[in-house]
Amino acid sequence: MRKRYVQAPGRSDEASGLRFLRKADAVDLFFVGYGLLIVVLVAASYAAGVFRLLPYDPEAVNLGLMLAPPGTAGHLLGTDFMGRDLLSRLILGIQAYFLPGLLAVAVAIVPGAALGVLAGYGAGRADRVITWFSNLVDSFPRLVLILLVVAAFKPDIYFIMVVVGLTNVPATVSLVKVKIRFLREKNFIEAAEGLGLPRRTIVLKHILWHHCRASLIIRATLGMGEAILMETSLSYLGFGVQEPTPSWGNMVQSGANYFLQGNFWPSTVPALAILLSILGFHLLGDGLNNLLERKAVH
Amino acid sequence: MSVPPLLNIENLKTYFYSKGRQAFIRSVDDVSFEIRRGETLGVVGESGSGKSVMALSVMGLVGAAPGVVAGRIGLKTDGIRKNLLQDLDDYVERVEADGRVVEVRKDVVGWQKNVERLMAMVRGKTVAMIFQNPKSSLNPFLSVGRQITEAIRLHTPCKGKAESRERALYWLERVRMDSPRLRYDNYPRALSGGMCQRAMVAMVLSCEPSFLIADEPTTGLDATIQSRIADLLAELKADLGVTTMLISHDIGIIRRLSDSVAVMYGGMVVEYGPAGKVLAAGPESGHPYTAALLASVPDERNIRGKEPLQAIPGDVPDTIHVPNGCRFYGRCVRVTAAVDKECASLLPPLSEITPGHAVRCWLYEGS
Repeated sequence: MRKRYVQAPGRSDEASGLRFLRKADAVDLFFVGYGLLIVVLVAASYAAGVFRLLPYDPEAVNLGLMLAPPGTAGHLLGTDFMGRDLLSRLILGIQAYFLPGLLAVAVAIVPGAALGVLAGYGAGRADRVITWFSNLVDSFPRLVLILLVVAAFKPDIYFIMVVVGLTNVPATVSLVKVKIRFLREKNFIEAAEGLGLPRRTIVLKHILWHHCRASLIIRATLGMGEAILMETSLSYLGFGVQEPTPSWGNMVQSGANYFLQGNFWPSTVPALAILLSILGFHLLGDGLNNLLERKAVH
Repeated sequence: MSVPPLLNIENLKTYFYSKGRQAFIRSVDDVSFEIRRGETLGVVGESGSGKSVMALSVMGLVGAAPGVVAGRIGLKTDGIRKNLLQDLDDYVERVEADGRVVEVRKDVVGWQKNVERLMAMVRGKTVAMIFQNPKSSLNPFLSVGRQITEAIRLHTPCKGKAESRERALYWLERVRMDSPRLRYDNYPRALSGGMCQRAMVAMVLSCEPSFLIADEPTTGLDATIQSRIADLLAELKADLGVTTMLISHDIGIIRRLSDSVAVMYGGMVVEYGPAGKVLAAGPESGHPYTAALLASVPDERNIRGKEPLQAIPGDVPDTIHVPNGCRFYGRCVRVTAAVDKECASLLPPLSEITPGHAVRCWLYEGS
């Protein structure tokens, strides 16, 4: 999806800043905008939780109004089998995945990038050890590993997400390593070394920031989507967030019992939310990638 | 009596170990010369004669795992003479068995650390290098201006943003970049090869090094740009008096810019002396290789008269199984019956034929 743009020399003295927006594709802007909308919704969820702006208490049972369909007065998305407001639960359910997801992404990206630099830039032995370990982690089936951890430790969601993040480290390592291997062959790294730039600057600025930035952002947003999926799967299976605290996973699970009776909304609404959020994070990454890469296509 | 040289290279040997063939590839084999302050040394030779590897050895950029550098590279920085190869050989261990090098163990990390320590205040500050492919020597993700200011801030007292920008613009103007203010914000892809090379020269010179290595600065540029870059280098040489090692295939640019010339062949210096003497040599004086090299430069007769170019027959010698005798033996057309035996079996020494002009050839021995 890379497009090539030619920078007109005469325009370069214009104030930069938002200049790149003018050259952006409508599609990319849509992707980024949609992703940002998801991010805004996350923020809104926290604001609503803190400032008590939710329409109803998401855990308040109302047995007089069970399984009310969407559009019922006062309940925009209807209620579930215990009469709890679905919209409120949906909004609060965001919190079940967001911080744990961020943790998973941080655990995958930060140590992954550092180890990738070590493997790519360092000498043979460091590379061999790191590659061996990441192959080891990579070769183990992920869900099995996580279920093993859940069975063995009965951990909370944050602990699980650290494990999810760790299983993603090898992907980041190989990404950064391959980039560095490729760039080391290029003259400009040699030229920068010849100019006496400290190695720290070359690695952090020239390699990680200017060449791996876009790929790392993509990895991070993909990782976020994956973390949502993992959290909701575990909650669906009953290992993650426990009732009555809402999570999209346990909402789908509890709603599924009434699906075949024709009450589709208690499970379909959170399932759609999962779908759209994961899509949103993926598109955010794609759009950001195109916007950032555009600046300097070889 | 005479001024001590800025850079002196003594018995520089840069070998790369080939695992498959269990032998060293002798890219640079026992090279010695010196460059005085303000002088330009031209290094000529065919591809594969070890010119670039020699330059990289001086910069400490022979980082590849199997590379082994030995000898002495003395460089005067801040009044102190430093050996840029100090203790480097301690990190390498050679395992030999019946005449073959079976294994080379190299403590790569220790080697790198030592190189970094030795080169810390040298790279950029004292010695700077212009590489042969200007388009790939600039980081494609950073604007030209930012790359130059980065170098300026690192090596000169100009630290402020506006100050270093002014400095960078000054140098861009100095290298005759057209509309420097526009180019400052351009990314390398928006620049032509010649402009990239000018930017590269500006970047390197903005660090105000006392020694400059130009590794084929005009290769890969088209002919008119080549001569413009040569003009620029000549102008800068006259103005700034930077000591330069100029590596090139192009005899023309070497003749124009160099004070002295070293001709390299098969990793060795075969002729060394003042530019006038080495390059003016007719077919009967100097090293046969230099004469052959000069004869292969196209001139009036080839261009107008459609006379075929004179090529040197044969190939550059194998740098793994180096011949015992002269490295040029086999391609040399001036071998006479009187010296044939020596040429084939003994390596001629580099000895002076006139003061300051040394040739590595048996034809000149004992006369």
